[in-house]
Amino acid sequence: MNILEVQNLVCGYGDSPIIRDLSFNVKAGEFLGIVGPNGSGKTTLLRVLSGLLVPTVGEIRLEGGGVKNYTRNELAKMIAFVPQLMEPVEGFSVLEMVLLGRTPYVQRFRFESDEDVQIAKWAIKELQAMEFIDKDVSKLSGGEFQRIAIARALAQEPKIMLLDEPISHLDLRYQVKILKLLKKIRQQRTIIATFHDLNMASRFCQKLMLLKHGEIIAYGYPDEVVTTENIWKAYRVKAQVKKNPRTKRASLVFLP
Amino acid sequence: MKINKKNILYLLLGALVLLSIISMFLGPVFISPEYLLKSEILWQIRIPRIILSAMVGIMLGISGVILQGILRNPLADPYILGVSAGAGVGAAVAMGAGLNFVIFGMSAVPVLAFVFAVVSVLIVYKLAQVKGQTSTETLILAGVAVSAFSAAVLALIIIVTGELQSIYFWLLGSFSMASYGDIITLTPYLLAGFIFAFFYSKELNALILGEEMAFTLGVDVEKIRLIMIIMASLMTAAAVSVSGLIGFVGLIIPHFVRLFLGPNHKTLVPVSALGGAILMMGADTIGRTVFSPIEIPIGVVMALIGSPFFLYILRRRYRVKR
Repeated sequence: MNILEVQNLVCGYGDSPIIRDLSFNVKAGEFLGIVGPNGSGKTTLLRVLSGLLVPTVGEIRLEGGGVKNYTRNELAKMIAFVPQLMEPVEGFSVLEMVLLGRTPYVQRFRFESDEDVQIAKWAIKELQAMEFIDKDVSKLSGGEFQRIAIARALAQEPKIMLLDEPISHLDLRYQVKILKLLKKIRQQRTIIATFHDLNMASRFCQKLMLLKHGEIIAYGYPDEVVTTENIWKAYRVKAQVKKNPRTKRASLVFLP
Repeated sequence: MKINKKNILYLLLGALVLLSIISMFLGPVFISPEYLLKSEILWQIRIPRIILSAMVGIMLGISGVILQGILRNPLADPYILGVSAGAGVGAAVAMGAGLNFVIFGMSAVPVLAFVFAVVSVLIVYKLAQVKGQTSTETLILAGVAVSAFSAAVLALIIIVTGELQSIYFWLLGSFSMASYGDIITLTPYLLAGFIFAFFYSKELNALILGEEMAFTLGVDVEKIRLIMIIMASLMTAAAVSVSGLIGFVGLIIPHFVRLFLGPNHKTLVPVSALGGAILMMGADTIGRTVFSPIEIPIGVVMALIGSPFFLYILRRRYRVKR
């Protein structure tokens, strides 16, 4: 079943839109990685999907219904967004921060219920962050904080989670950890994330979308997308693509 | 350092009660304890004054929290942003012109104060926005500009109407004319302001993460901002109408509450309300006792405490930034 259908999406201003006529579908439960060179429209695409930007032309449909027919609050229950750089707010505990994810569920003149707290705790557990549940978020390391940012989005219980470069400023250990956790989360929800590291994206994502100048160069399984030809088209870089015998995923070696 | 938030609330409530009892004994006229409860001075002068100062403290404290929340800037305060001065112009216009109408049960002074307060805050807010962000520098500068303009208009009103003494004294900020009527006038504003700030705390919390995050959490940012600006202006205007221009309460109190209890508005709003009440009542008690029988207007006391404090946070903020 398609959870997300995008048709003829155009976004940006004037004659040179950042997103140019994109059409694609995403199936429920997929882990889609969006890759492409700087300025290819990866972040813009996520921002349109999250509702932060309004498309100039085209339609976005969630579970078959047009996005325009949802209220802001209903949308927040379906889509969660983790921006690339989130500023940790000094004085907020991890639990308080993750509880903010429950905002769309808390009714007017009410506060977070015990159930909301339980869901927040569950999300923290999913991200293996229980050990610092009471810690001040501003005292966490980058990798720890990124997990909290994702836990906050997960506490929103969205059908789709959008993550903008969730691993780009982390060291290798946290990159792998975050990707493994995302892969686990994917079992219950759809994940769309942008990446710079093609090897990582190809290793962990189920599908990849390669963008350039706001257009799709390739979209499909990682070994269909990560090819010498596509890499050349998108990045003008010569690369050799091999299938890793153990992971069965395409991996890149850059050629001189 | 983890402080139990419920205990803090009880502690502050206890402090408030204790302070108001102490304050009842203090004044230019000494009344011995056995006559205190039968004294006219207590019931007609001191008690209304104590209650009114606490109410104004609550309203200014919450207004500070609200403005800091929606502008995402810890230096926002009704006085610094020129909201108080704007409200002052409105109130002076109503007083100077001798306006005496009543709309929706509100008399002319608070109504005009409110209108001018909203206009001022909107001007400051628009002026301070650079590319959708409100920076501290532009916010303070815009506040200074609007305050200066309002001060000029106030001076003009004083000169034209010839009401120098009454308007000037009221401007300095004072609770010396406190009456039960003032308390009744303020009550609806205080309740409305508190209820809105408290029950919109989840939106204010979401806004801490930034406008975009709040938006993806389902918060209608523009609507919340408008409601909150109206609430802060209403409370400031009502406070200014009864007690003149009193600054820095909304700056000092939320700053300390945030420092010790964190930025969560669920605690920030009620604790700042109590803290504002304590500070205002304490400052007024000091103002009317240290140089007794001469009274120092509360606005002067607060400016003496508040201005250095403002500079201190400003410095600290920049040191942290660099």
